[in-house]
Amino acid sequence: MKAAAIQKAHPLEAPAGPLRHRIVWHCRHNPKRELWLAWWTLVAFYNFFFVVFFVLTRTQPPPNPGWDTPRVVQWFRDNHIGILVGFAIMFVITGMTTMSNALIAYSMRRMSVSRAFAYSYLVLYSLSAIPGMLLMCVALTVGAFRPDRDPELIHWIYDFAFLSFVGTMGVFLIGSLVWMLAILVDKNRVFPKWFGYLNLCNGLTEIVVSPAWIFRRGVLAWNGQIAWWLDMVVFGIYTGVFIFLLRRLIQREDFGTGPLPDVAPRRSSDLVQAAQ
Amino acid sequence: MTDLAETNKPAEFVPGQPDMWAFVFFETLVFTAYFGFYLFYRSQSPELFLRSQAQLDLRIGIFNTLVLLLSSWSIARCVQSARAGAYRPARRDAYLTALFGVVFLCSKVFEWARQIRMGNGFGTNDFFTYYYFLTGIHFVHLLIGFVVLGVTIYQLRSPAPGVPRSPGSRGSRQELVETCATYWHTVDFLWVLIFALLYVVR
Repeated sequence: MKAAAIQKAHPLEAPAGPLRHRIVWHCRHNPKRELWLAWWTLVAFYNFFFVVFFVLTRTQPPPNPGWDTPRVVQWFRDNHIGILVGFAIMFVITGMTTMSNALIAYSMRRMSVSRAFAYSYLVLYSLSAIPGMLLMCVALTVGAFRPDRDPELIHWIYDFAFLSFVGTMGVFLIGSLVWMLAILVDKNRVFPKWFGYLNLCNGLTEIVVSPAWIFRRGVLAWNGQIAWWLDMVVFGIYTGVFIFLLRRLIQREDFGTGPLPDVAPRRSSDLVQAAQ
Repeated sequence: MTDLAETNKPAEFVPGQPDMWAFVFFETLVFTAYFGFYLFYRSQSPELFLRSQAQLDLRIGIFNTLVLLLSSWSIARCVQSARAGAYRPARRDAYLTALFGVVFLCSKVFEWARQIRMGNGFGTNDFFTYYYFLTGIHFVHLLIGFVVLGVTIYQLRSPAPGVPRSPGSRGSRQELVETCATYWHTVDFLWVLIFALLYVVR
């Protein structure tokens, strides 16, 4: 189907010339422009995510779950503006995650596996954003909205926000396993098998977060060395790796149906040939 | 396509897919971090850890370890038989491995129940938090091991009568069997470390 759209055998790389011309060429002629848009949206989203959660709202690394009520109220007071501004930005850009999920689902559609994998991944990740991120953003915004609220209520909101954010990592687990299974079963070599196993490592560290529901101190609390720090390191490596591999996937994409070539096709005619 | 076929050929320097060894390496790093945190917290309150450790039954720990070592032995035999093309004995050894796995799981559940009856829960103290956490995460690895054994047994199935095997399929089957065995050995190897840290090191 794509073959028809790329009948003309023009090169896949922009002709030499001024930057403006090359950008125009990519926007008008690059058959992979939608894929690149999705990839750059994914990169932009993770950058915004980092700035909002680690810098603006100071919600990552998470504050201490063992604090008493006055300390929690103090935390809200200290981060008042950051929470309101940061999460206002987050609500605007949350939709960008759809592009990232869609690109990952696309990678599964390119595999030799059933489409059911891509569909279940999309549904799982669309739903997991609610307990995994949005509930926390709403709850903390509500907490910061009226700083003079009853301190007990503020403390309740604090627990609710962080438990929903850290404690529900498990909702991402099944999505990770779906992607893993697709990669391991796939015969089109879209991703290396070790990345399939890395999905399992990531999934296993997400299980480790669940004791955060029980502990208020120690390594398994929501800010603990195992439940948060180690999990974040593994997740960071995993995210970095999949962003890199998705980039490689787009470079290698030939819009065909068989095994993905190791090197990027150079001309559109290669794509047409592969598609046929 | 020729170069694709060539790159598809399994690397010969390790048993199974080299990719599985990346998993082994990564999981070992993650567990090293767990053990590092355990040893750090242990050094913070050595008396509490010694007192709590004394409540574990070393005999159950040794039994667990022996059972898992036996399971490693039977999966190794399974790989050997599969290499020789003897799929029936290989399947039998894979089932034997699963049996040892089930014995391990049952004895672990028994041990947990015993500790809980003695009043040592997940949140009792730092040592028991680690005890339940490390044995629990290992338990999850072992549960995945049963799926892996299922894949092994599926790969070792006899072809339907009259259906010729496609050329090259035996190599990829063998590679998968060895990949699965590597996973199982990793689970065993991690248990030996957990056993040493929780039960033996005083």
